[in-house]
Amino acid sequence: MSDGAARPPAVQVFDVKKSFEHGLVKALNGVTLTIGQGEWVALVGPSGCGKSTLLHLLAALDTPTSGRILVNGQDISSLPNQNRYRRFEVGLVFQLHNLLPNLTAIQNVEVAMFGNGLSHGEQGERARGLLEAVSLSHRQKVRPPGLSGGERQRLAIARALANNPSIILADEPTGALDSASAEGVLDLFQRIRAERGVTILLVTHDREVAAAADRIIQMRDGRIVETAASAPAG
Amino acid sequence: MYFVSLTARNVYTRKVRSSLTGIAIAISIAVVVTMGVLTHSLRRTAVSILRTGDADFSVAQKGVSDVIYSSVDEKDVELIRSYEGVENAIGVLVDMTKLDEDHPFFLKLGIPPADLEGFGVQIVAGRKYEPDSQTEMIIGYRAARDLGKTVGDSITIDDDTYDIVGIYATGQVFADAASMTSLVGVQTEERKPGVVTLVFVRITEGADIDGLRSLIEHERPELATVRTESEFGRIDRNLELISAANIGVSALALIIGAVSILNTMVLSVFERTREFGVLRAIGWSRMRVLLCVMMEALVVSLSGAMVGVGAGFIAVEILARSPDLVGVFQPDYPGGVFGRALAIAFGMAFVGALYPAARAALLRPLDAIRHE
Repeated sequence: MSDGAARPPAVQVFDVKKSFEHGLVKALNGVTLTIGQGEWVALVGPSGCGKSTLLHLLAALDTPTSGRILVNGQDISSLPNQNRYRRFEVGLVFQLHNLLPNLTAIQNVEVAMFGNGLSHGEQGERARGLLEAVSLSHRQKVRPPGLSGGERQRLAIARALANNPSIILADEPTGALDSASAEGVLDLFQRIRAERGVTILLVTHDREVAAAADRIIQMRDGRIVETAASAPAG
Repeated sequence: MYFVSLTARNVYTRKVRSSLTGIAIAISIAVVVTMGVLTHSLRRTAVSILRTGDADFSVAQKGVSDVIYSSVDEKDVELIRSYEGVENAIGVLVDMTKLDEDHPFFLKLGIPPADLEGFGVQIVAGRKYEPDSQTEMIIGYRAARDLGKTVGDSITIDDDTYDIVGIYATGQVFADAASMTSLVGVQTEERKPGVVTLVFVRITEGADIDGLRSLIEHERPELATVRTESEFGRIDRNLELISAANIGVSALALIIGAVSILNTMVLSVFERTREFGVLRAIGWSRMRVLLCVMMEALVVSLSGAMVGVGAGFIAVEILARSPDLVGVFQPDYPGGVFGRALAIAFGMAFVGALYPAARAALLRPLDAIRHE
């Protein structure tokens, strides 16, 4: 983002620990990281290393056992309204897209906008704009089962952008896609970052996908073991 | 897309299940409407007997199964007439008989001709019957029109033939479709000498009506006074039983409908656990999830209720044509019956959807998203 210097970092994680099963399973074991405004970061690591757990904590879908998480300078553990945070601050993209199969493409985007303060007409207009942004204008009346894997994931990205969040949290967004579709999704992330200045945190186990990010953070056993700038493509 | 469109779409998506639930609700509501109209109409018919006499209140034997079986001694009529504040008290013996297939319940009122005027009867053709005559009769103008009779004709009731000597009008639909003859005549035929069914009491202006009623009931504990429709059960236990059955049926309908809704919505919420998790994850509040489930239940319930009201209406019309009820059951459709059907439909949706809606709203988004 152009005014990134004037704003706090998009994400600040301070010594965050997360354990399950009454402390028997330690998913995160003292994670500290900072992500700048408009930055694209890839979290990589083997299964069970804690990358999805960290993403869930950032999405306020779960709470840390200890430590602090600040998003845009605000401690999300003390949020008065987590629904509002999930609606306006972050946009979630899941591996299996999690679209509503009975709704059309445009309705899947609109459903994320209920109660966001926009009129019905404005919601429809914004949804159409987002479908255009993800190149799905011609598929707006189609339900998810009628879309290809790549189209579904693009639709999920459009839904994640429905309320203009500043951060996109994507959990294995290309995990179920063929390479061509995966490339299309990564191009889309690149484009929306350039156009909207959003910060992207992408969880993946695929090194090639991670290479599209500005920075790659390697995790293992609930810890960050390496942080490196991504090598330029090609 | 509007929120209500989303809920309607969710209902439509599970159309077979929603339809079956809707049918269960429709049947429940149809029963509520039918029973409600039946009870109201029977009560109205029964109460219209009381209102025939243009009286301030009526007196009958307490606690009889049907008002027609009330038995009041004529001496009690004299006693009531003697109380201060009573302008007039008229004893009437009511006999209900089958005239023909089209008139299975035809009223014959035994009343002294001298009391006709005080009873609100106006002779519009012919004359009154003689006090001791057992062969003369006057009929209401509605009955005359319906039976095609006029002054000078005769009418046969229970093998007894009467000469129609007059046509009367009272302004009361029920009375104008009935007949009147001498009290002595009816008492002789019914083998009820010195007995009347009802006493119609009119009070003088400014008299204490409640005090008078209390006095009568104190002096004659076997009698009950009735002024309003709601008090009618005191002298007609059958109607009271029907009213109680009506309330019972409504409660049962509410339970059946609510259980149907509960079953449907619990299944729906269980199947859509992941969907609710996603909706919570993208920012839906617990309240919005709760509303979504409740509104889906309401859509099913109100759709079923609309069909049920229509079915109830048809059932009432069929009942009204039943040979056993012709003449007694004249359908009347009070708004209250439909209001109650609507309230029950709302109640079904609320009671039935509360648990599944709360369950959906209280899901942890992360657990719900992981749900298979």
